[in-house]
Amino acid sequence: MPTPYSVKPDRDFLRHLLDDGGEDLKKCFQCATCSVVCELSGKRQLFPRKEMISAQWGLKDRLVADPDVWLCYQCNDCSTHCPRGARPGDVMAAIRRETVIEHSVPSFLARWMSRPRYLPLLLLIPVVILGLAAMVEKAPAAGQKILYPYWWRLPHAVLIGLFGVLSVLVFVAMTVGVMRFWRAMKAADGDAARPTKSLRSSIATVLKNVLMHDQFSLCKTEHSRLLSHMAVFYGFLALSAVAVWVLIVILTAGHNPLVPGELIYPFNFWNPWRMLANLGGVAVVAGCAWMIWERLRQDKKALNTYSDWAFMATFVLVVLSGFVCEALHYLRLEPHRFAAYFGHLVLVFMLLAYLPYSKFSHTVYRIAAMVYAEYSGRNDDVPIEDTDEPKESEKSIIDQTSEKETNE
Amino acid sequence: MEKKDTKLAVWICQGCDIGASLDVEAMEKVVGECGVSACQSHPFLCSDEGVELIKKEIAAGTNALVIAGCSPRFNTDTFTFDGCLTERVNLREMVVWSHAPNDEDTQMLAEDYLRMGIVRAKKAHLPEPFETEIDKTILVVGGGQSGMTAALETARAGYQVVLVEKEPELGGWLRNFARSFPKTPPYRDLETVDLASRVKELEEDDRIQIHCGAAIEKISGQPGQFDVSLKTNGSTTQFRVGAIIQATGWKPYDASRLGHLGYGSPNVITNVQMEELAASGKILRPSDGKPARRIAFVQCAGSRDEDHLPYCSAVCCRVTLKQALWIRELDDQTEAYVLYKDIRAPGQYEDFYRRAQEDSGIFFTKGDVVSVNETGDHNLVVDVENTLIGKQIQIEADLVVLATGMVPAAADGEAIRQFRDAKAVVDKGEAGAQLEGAKQTVERLAAHEGTDVLHLDYRQGPDLPALKYSFPDSHFICFPYETRRTGIYSAGCVRAPNDFEACAEDALGAALKAIQSVELGSRGATVHPRWEDRSYPEFAMQRCTQCKRCTEECPFGTLDEDEKGTPLPNITRCRRCGICLGACPERIISFADYSVDIVSSMIKSIEVPDEDEEKPRLLGLLCENDAYPALDLAGLDRIQHSPFIRFIPVRCLGSVNVVWIADALSRGYDGILLVGCKSGDDYQCHFIRGSELMDTRGENIREKLLQLALEEERVRVEQLSISEYHKLPRIINEFAKQIEEIGMNPFKGF
Repeated sequence: MPTPYSVKPDRDFLRHLLDDGGEDLKKCFQCATCSVVCELSGKRQLFPRKEMISAQWGLKDRLVADPDVWLCYQCNDCSTHCPRGARPGDVMAAIRRETVIEHSVPSFLARWMSRPRYLPLLLLIPVVILGLAAMVEKAPAAGQKILYPYWWRLPHAVLIGLFGVLSVLVFVAMTVGVMRFWRAMKAADGDAARPTKSLRSSIATVLKNVLMHDQFSLCKTEHSRLLSHMAVFYGFLALSAVAVWVLIVILTAGHNPLVPGELIYPFNFWNPWRMLANLGGVAVVAGCAWMIWERLRQDKKALNTYSDWAFMATFVLVVLSGFVCEALHYLRLEPHRFAAYFGHLVLVFMLLAYLPYSKFSHTVYRIAAMVYAEYSGRNDDVPIEDTDEPKESEKSIIDQTSEKETNE
Repeated sequence: MEKKDTKLAVWICQGCDIGASLDVEAMEKVVGECGVSACQSHPFLCSDEGVELIKKEIAAGTNALVIAGCSPRFNTDTFTFDGCLTERVNLREMVVWSHAPNDEDTQMLAEDYLRMGIVRAKKAHLPEPFETEIDKTILVVGGGQSGMTAALETARAGYQVVLVEKEPELGGWLRNFARSFPKTPPYRDLETVDLASRVKELEEDDRIQIHCGAAIEKISGQPGQFDVSLKTNGSTTQFRVGAIIQATGWKPYDASRLGHLGYGSPNVITNVQMEELAASGKILRPSDGKPARRIAFVQCAGSRDEDHLPYCSAVCCRVTLKQALWIRELDDQTEAYVLYKDIRAPGQYEDFYRRAQEDSGIFFTKGDVVSVNETGDHNLVVDVENTLIGKQIQIEADLVVLATGMVPAAADGEAIRQFRDAKAVVDKGEAGAQLEGAKQTVERLAAHEGTDVLHLDYRQGPDLPALKYSFPDSHFICFPYETRRTGIYSAGCVRAPNDFEACAEDALGAALKAIQSVELGSRGATVHPRWEDRSYPEFAMQRCTQCKRCTEECPFGTLDEDEKGTPLPNITRCRRCGICLGACPERIISFADYSVDIVSSMIKSIEVPDEDEEKPRLLGLLCENDAYPALDLAGLDRIQHSPFIRFIPVRCLGSVNVVWIADALSRGYDGILLVGCKSGDDYQCHFIRGSELMDTRGENIREKLLQLALEEERVRVEQLSISEYHKLPRIINEFAKQIEEIGMNPFKGF
């Protein structure tokens, strides 16, 4: 006989879920309408109902190790059809939020990311750090042409040094968080996991899925999300590619690393890399604008949590401030140009430094969960456990009902 | 025997397809052959003009009418005339609407029905009401929610009330419950129980006489004449009442039988005990007095369970929701785990359920609680299976509350009587084989000793007979508050598990029933379901053989008996079902318009074609309550049935006397179909035991048939509810076909 699962409600966890946008979760009475309409539930045995009841009981141990929650793209079919207004879609989002908070290191940063009262503090950190960095003055070398004032403030070397250290920290934090998540998923599955694929092929499948946005096209109710997310996703990839290229070019002191001796930096407007950056920026802004519009319009359909808004705002402001810098640069407006640049750097700092703790971390956690699901055989068709079969007593009720119908 | 002074007239209505489908002239000839000279037809008899014509005829001295037209269930008021016996022949639903028009067989059918109607009109008497003195005071037994409401409502309707309560104060369970679940919108917040103002209202009403700390010693007599002796503080008072409302309430289910749910451990309590704990303001564990922080509520503890109470007590879910909210209100640290089979929060109480769900300290899961065990220091662990959290889960708790159900605070009158009879046999110590049986009965029914509540002086037992799940109520939608004792109505939790509101509603219903009972009794009429019937059973006692069948079989305990066993009828207890008439082997019981002779004569009045004509004749005895209206409905739907069957309505299948079967077979009928209401625990039989009795009598009939060397299939008993009306023609046709296959009755023509 298997050992019975010992149920120990974690009321703090439950309270956090309620605060994170799952405020209606207690309304659920387990009718399973959500599971009937959900695209994922077939293979995942009554997803999201099982998550709903676990959430109601505050069963943190189960939920923070549940990959299924991350396979949900919050199409909100469940919330739309829920007869009791329990909004399972929002509850799944809240669980994802708590999962990040649970696994990230240090986790208080993640908690800060989901509470607006910490915003000033979170803003102050990059302002102070970058402000201190800006104090460092570097006198122009003899004979060096001064392109524009302030250029010796926040020189590339300082920025590369600062963001380099930051990137390493972020990478470590992210890796630790995801590893903890992975181990939790594995521990929760225990013997039930039956890997059928190699890790490498699982990752390949998932990456293809992510690039193609396959999961989004399953949504029956919200097709627009496929396009808006795609715009943001590819826009961001383009911007990242340009950033990497710029880093390389700067390290080669403004020369094209492929064509020795060719000075290409700063890019002129028609440079393909700059054009790619501009296009990417436009895509991100357009995608975000669309998302914001949808969210405002469908206000009733899905709750918009603070952490979602904070992430989206940071993201769109990074790009917008980038455009402002670009414009002011061409207009040679001083000192506004430098102020905009400073602001842009602060925003970039926030986007990057808080990645493991903000909504941005979904990129990594979600991929980890998807890979785990693929790897552990969760995506294979599994026979439905007998618990889901109608019990004898229920069967007789069903029989009686059908009998009655035939009689009448 | 035909009446001497009958002046009979026959009217045939030609409306509603009758004139177009039948040869009315030929029918008029049949009337003449029956020795009735006054016969007229009319194209539209229920019109003002038609009715005027009939009235003129009555004014001219006609005192009996046969009206051949629509079913007696239609135009009943139109064709009821004071002082004139009216027999309705159903030519519309049972003949022209359910058979081929202008057909030889249809014509024969109509003519046979006419012959039967004329015979009945000649033999039946216009009932004279049974006049007796009726006291209109209403006795209410039990001073809880239902009893207090019943007393108040009855008094408000203008009747004198005697309210009897065994405890020293009024209130019943209301005294134990400080707070209740909401009774008014928005159905979210707990309410305080206000008992004092209600008691005051009762005390101030001078039509209500209250006896607290009282016990009923004896109730004898019959509706309208119940003589009650009441013992209060050692002294006995006697008074007379007309009807009784039993509102004795409920007892909690005996939790000591729930050992598997941990009862016996100090920290496992019932919901009733929880009520006291919550009222104290602090939820402290009985074992060590420490605050209980984790409280598990086990729903359906001993309910919906074949080994305990098979039924749902309707309120436990809401009581638990209330208690969970209450303990959360007392201490936010407390957690409540509700383990349920189904949450039953009917109607607006869904909102109350939502309210409890919203609370972040109340947790719900469906599942089967299999055990509750101690883990040391009297801490508890609850094992639950088949939950949605997991197939097997465990929950630790400081305190477990068992939501036990309600058991009616009623006694099973029939069981008490059996016990007493058996005990008398044992005490006498005679008769070898009987003694053994009696001893077993005494042992089996020992628990019923001394459980009497009403102390009725009835031969069939001192209390109401228990029906389904020991509740003394019919449990069928058509007869709420009806018990098997006329003039005694049950209300509140003694009738069915109820909440406060439903109890109040019950009390109102039972009060109206009690008032109806005394009012109808004062007019010499009976109560539901033969409402307003003024006929009553008359006994030709000189021929009685003291076989006691009538006293035993009467579902309503109408008959007591003297030492010799001669029945002593109490007419106002009677509901006029005629079951005694069906039971009596000496055929000494008859009603003015319903007797063995009347029905026998109707059976014999038809023309039976010779064997070689290949026209079988079948007799159908249809219960008036469901089967007869069902056939009317089938006629309305124009569903056809065999033209070879002749139907006679009977008051109840239980009123069928076996001699009618014998008469029919010797007259040459080829088969007999009896259709009654559904019997069983969820019975729909309007007289409770009619169909069941027919089944036992059916055994005798079968033996008779075998003795006569006839096939037992020639007599068939069917049970039908009115909603199955469309099945009835099919049953008839199948039976007709079966009889055709068996062949003609060999006694035909003798």
